[in-house]
Amino acid sequence: MDRLRVMGNVYKQYWRINILTTLEYRENFLIWFAFTFIYHGSAIAALWIVLNRFPSMNGWTFRDMAFLYGMWMLAHALHNTFFSTVGDIPEHVRDGEFDRLLVRPLDTLFQAIATPGQVFPDELILALFTFCAATWYCGVVVDATFLIFVPLIVVGGALIDLAFNLFISTVAFWFVRVDALRWIVIQLEQEFTRYPISIYSRGVRLLLTFVVPFAFMNYFPARFFLHKAHEGAMLPAPVGLLTPAIGLLAVALAYVFWRIGLNRYSGVGN
Amino acid sequence: MTAARAPRFRLEPYVQFAKKAMAREATYRFDVFTTVASVLVRVYLLRMVWVALYARNTAPKELPLHAIITYSTVALLMGLVMDIDQTRLLHDKLHSGGIATDFMKPIVVPFYLFADGSGEVIFHAALIVPSLLLALLFVHIDVPGPLTLVTFFASFALGYLVGLFVNFILNCVAFWTLEIHAMQLIVTWITDLFGGEIIPLVIFPAFLQKIAFALPFAAMFSTPLLIYVGAIPPERYAWALGVQAFWVVVLALASTVIWRAGAKRVIVQGG
Amino acid sequence: MAIIEAVGLRKVFRSIERQPGLRGAVAALFSRTFVEKVAVDGVSFSLDPGELVGYIGPNGAGKSTTIKMLTGILVPTAGQLRVAGIVPYQNRMANATNIGVVFGQRSQLYWDLPLRESFELLRSIYDVPRARYLENMKHFAEILDLERFLGTPVRQLSLGERMRGDFAAAMLHDPKIVFLDEPTIGLDVIAKEAIREFIAAVNKERGTTVILTTHDLADVERLSRRIVLIDEGVVIYDGSLERLREEYGTHRTLVVTLAESYPDVAVAGAEVEGRDHNTVRLRFNRRELTAEALIRRVTERYQIVDVQIVEPAIDDIVRRIYLEGYHEGVVGAPS
Repeated sequence: MDRLRVMGNVYKQYWRINILTTLEYRENFLIWFAFTFIYHGSAIAALWIVLNRFPSMNGWTFRDMAFLYGMWMLAHALHNTFFSTVGDIPEHVRDGEFDRLLVRPLDTLFQAIATPGQVFPDELILALFTFCAATWYCGVVVDATFLIFVPLIVVGGALIDLAFNLFISTVAFWFVRVDALRWIVIQLEQEFTRYPISIYSRGVRLLLTFVVPFAFMNYFPARFFLHKAHEGAMLPAPVGLLTPAIGLLAVALAYVFWRIGLNRYSGVGN
Repeated sequence: MTAARAPRFRLEPYVQFAKKAMAREATYRFDVFTTVASVLVRVYLLRMVWVALYARNTAPKELPLHAIITYSTVALLMGLVMDIDQTRLLHDKLHSGGIATDFMKPIVVPFYLFADGSGEVIFHAALIVPSLLLALLFVHIDVPGPLTLVTFFASFALGYLVGLFVNFILNCVAFWTLEIHAMQLIVTWITDLFGGEIIPLVIFPAFLQKIAFALPFAAMFSTPLLIYVGAIPPERYAWALGVQAFWVVVLALASTVIWRAGAKRVIVQGG
Repeated sequence: MAIIEAVGLRKVFRSIERQPGLRGAVAALFSRTFVEKVAVDGVSFSLDPGELVGYIGPNGAGKSTTIKMLTGILVPTAGQLRVAGIVPYQNRMANATNIGVVFGQRSQLYWDLPLRESFELLRSIYDVPRARYLENMKHFAEILDLERFLGTPVRQLSLGERMRGDFAAAMLHDPKIVFLDEPTIGLDVIAKEAIREFIAAVNKERGTTVILTTHDLADVERLSRRIVLIDEGVVIYDGSLERLREEYGTHRTLVVTLAESYPDVAVAGAEVEGRDHNTVRLRFNRRELTAEALIRRVTERYQIVDVQIVEPAIDDIVRRIYLEGYHEGVVGAPS
């Protein structure tokens, strides 16, 4: 269809401008890459230091935790590379730039995603290396199931990330400042996923499984592939393969909410 | 600046700066909420992590479970104050160019910068109390004896000064390159790890411990915290505080040198 | 056949009544009482293709709300609206193809990269065929003198250059209608003139319909023959600028600086509007009294040091119209 062709073109231009902008500010890019490296590096270093002294966390070793972290990192980096722009929507609603999108002949969410800036897939490349290294290091069996499902799971994890990013940005149509909400969700997503959720109390486990399903980004898949189903867990191991479905469902729900928010912004029913 | 007589040092304008900065902080209600909430979330998280780790592994004798949970909780509460960049104003002013006019005013510029940031520090220090009370709802922390407690506060103060000068030196780098945000974050992450905020340094493998204790960052978190949980016994208090004081002096001297170099640059270049 | 047809446009904003403070904010979450604000209350007008209209009014009058409805951003509460045959809020994207927008205070160009990169991106967004794109670029480069800074990063452009870039960007896809919101704000005299020339050229040569929203009356005087004046959500004047000035801009103000502080200042034929030490503001009806005559009357009684004549501002005219003209219904007839 014609519209798809136009969107494809615009998306190509979007990436062209991203890369040109990154090159324009080379030194800035390098130092932020250094930070990204240190951020993930120190997280993994902290895990190593702790597990060096306490080798087992509920039956998970450092090798297992490396795989857990790598999987989360890959999904998260995938989201950041392609969808982090969604997090800027509240700011654009605040300063009036959002109206600009409404005045152009393309879908608003697509335009919000394709808003050029200084985006570069550096974290994604780093995450890919990290995940591959962790996969090799933890000795997980890389069979057909692994090769078919892991990419789908990583995409599914990125979609879960996107769903919540979009949800919070949509809230901005009602409550202009969403920083507090975003901060809480980020903490849940980034810090609680570093460890197997079996260490948390029941309420938190339910939260991370059914309400904000970040446990599906890495924990459940890792539990499946690393054969760690023996912890008196509520859900059976193959649940770890459901991540792509959960991702799609979450994004679908978030998109419905987004359309409701758009309607509100345009004053439908007022 | 020519003067027939050097002006006497007046505290009052700096108190005014601090008061204004405090009022500024209090208007950011959302920030208060997220700051306290994120501390509490982390307190919970770390408690569950240590409980899980201590369940299946041999505990270090100097840090039983209740001690390490106390350590983490107190570390996070300290973080409310330690994470603040008290001299951030310097960087802002270098960015905007406003620093040039400050040199023309009859104030001692570094003190003015410290005073401005101190409002934020005092405000966050006040947040420690409600955060502590809320944290006590789901963790238990040990309360040490009076001597230890007093020494802890002295050590905390010294550790804060070390952090203050580290931040100040970082902000001074802005005299030369304006984009220092990423560099500051990098240093923050490293100092948090090697300062023993996230993980007690005594847990570190031997070779890393040697490195960590040789750096000034240990003086920021590790020393006061290890005093608090009793891992540093009273006989070593003087030594521990002495090491902290040593770092304060070294960093203060380094700060003076860098400040002078930077200030000269501004005055020579005219901002 | 009109290109823009608005009949009885109405926009009401409903929000939850909120008391100040933290308690009020929490209470608002449970409240059922609404506060209604009528931003646009029955606005009607029609524009023919190729018209250049000044759409003016004081701040908060409902100008931007109307424009948002015309551009498809807002859905009207009531009324009918057709822009180039399309109902904007029902067909947002189709409407978007027909319109171009310039927001004077915010640029749509990409700050960090050369100007031409912004044009390339817009070309892909509006799906402009290559040949047409090159033609337009050549034409705009000529009349806007863009050639020399096409390769300059937008952040390094002066305000005038950036504004010219924004204009080209808005016209790139040959829109039938262009909405200009404060296009000359912040520009120096020369840059303003360049922009005005471009607007006039585009309107004349391409027949583009132009709706110009501005606080700078000189823009309107230079460019448009027709003014639509809106105040408090209602169109209170729709006609030519000359007639507006003639009929309603009757009062001017003479600002006189006296040699000394006279206790009581009174001049026949003029009203003392205000007083500040030696400076007196005298308001007079220029149909009844010429400025020259008034100055003579003042010098007969007082010693003056300086004199200045202040023309009626659009806000003053609006206020006057509101006081005198509104009660009789809409003033003036569409031309």
